[in-house]
Amino acid sequence: MANFIPAGTGGHTGWRAAVQKLGGNLAGMVIPNIGAFIAWGLLTALFIPTGWLPNEQLAAMVGPMIINLLPILIGYTGGRLVHGQRGAVIGAVATVGVIVGTSIPMFLGAMIIGPLAAWVLKRIDAVLDPITPPGFEMLIGNFSLGIAGLLMAILGFLGIGPTVNALSDVLGAGVQTLIDTGLLPLASILVEPAKILFLNNAINHGVLAPIGVVQAEEMGKSIMFMLETNPGPGLGILVAFWLAGNSVLRGSAPGAIVIHFLGGIHEIYFPYVLLRPVLVLAAIAGGATGVATFLVTGVGLVATPSPGSIFAYLAVTPPGNHFGVLLGILLSATVSFLVAWVILKATKSGDDDLAAAQAKSQAMKTGGAE
Amino acid sequence: MASISGAEVKHVVVACEAGMGSSVMVAKMLAKQLKDNGVTVSHSPVNQLAETQHDVVLCHRGLSARAKQAVPNSPVIVFDMFLGDLRIAQLVDEIKRGALISDE
Repeated sequence: MANFIPAGTGGHTGWRAAVQKLGGNLAGMVIPNIGAFIAWGLLTALFIPTGWLPNEQLAAMVGPMIINLLPILIGYTGGRLVHGQRGAVIGAVATVGVIVGTSIPMFLGAMIIGPLAAWVLKRIDAVLDPITPPGFEMLIGNFSLGIAGLLMAILGFLGIGPTVNALSDVLGAGVQTLIDTGLLPLASILVEPAKILFLNNAINHGVLAPIGVVQAEEMGKSIMFMLETNPGPGLGILVAFWLAGNSVLRGSAPGAIVIHFLGGIHEIYFPYVLLRPVLVLAAIAGGATGVATFLVTGVGLVATPSPGSIFAYLAVTPPGNHFGVLLGILLSATVSFLVAWVILKATKSGDDDLAAAQAKSQAMKTGGAE
Repeated sequence: MASISGAEVKHVVVACEAGMGSSVMVAKMLAKQLKDNGVTVSHSPVNQLAETQHDVVLCHRGLSARAKQAVPNSPVIVFDMFLGDLRIAQLVDEIKRGALISDE
């Protein structure tokens, strides 16, 4: 068992793997489609009435993309994960039922119905395949998918759409309460430690972004996209390692800073925190500072910046929001740097830190694997 | 615990959560170091590892439990740092020398 994992979770790799797996599946439906999200985000940032180049005709694409295209892509990809190409097709068909049953972007509904419909088809195929007479594969294959798809779309329309709609209302109201009461920065207490445990994609793409998309559709931007993706806290920690870490880590920190802040691969700073778990306090302090700044300045993003690079941030920042966005990133980096610097100075234990940690991990071999 | 001789390694797969971010980065760096040895290095989401062709799997400690679950019979080498990790350097060395690679 790796004891770099922050206390309190070290003994629970079983559930951690399970949560990661669930989250990984949610993220697995979204991440392959990020390019489409970016097309939609840029379209929104440019052509809606409050955008850079307001244009009514081109803005007509914004609605159909977010309401129809993106959920169908998610349902398609979710179906493909379960049952290949046939699963993908029935996932897309069934997602239409969920979409039509509501008026909000149905990301969560698509994440449920896509894999579910594919799973049902997988069961049907398992029964029909062995008893299909030679020469009838195509006929039976096409009609089993078509009929099952029709039924799943109706189920989505009548059952899943309204249920998820109600759930989204509750989630949205809860988030709005956190925003209105100014308590949203407290979310960092959950988000930052979860990131370090490699739940970053699950949290962002599985939970925060679906809520953010509903807000972005209503208000043209959302702060929910910024809770997990802010590169500031990680930047602060890496700079602290660069200036105050031991000599081994100091060497790799500049490269890590470039990959993290410019390239947007946040995973690169997680191991630094795992080496000194108490540094998660720096990430939380930085994250909460960033969220508070975004909240006070009233900024948001039009789409999820993925990967969480400063360039992706600038691309999805709507007009007039740049000051607050950049200030939030700067302040969160500064705060996390200061906290991390103090922690590193206070707990400095010689230069053999990484070597010792790696030797330890060698000794533990598969530590964390079971 | 799975193991393989470094001389037999032809394909290394690096796994990460989405198979699009950190694993691509590590795979590219590793491919550069191993290109003279006829070893190909690719990347994959951790939950699709079973569908990949590989002799050795490489992933970060945070995902090692799921990697081992996905491919219980393959050697899963676990690293801690994305840059300058000793275990990755050791793996390269083991492949080049044809030494025994084990996740034990």
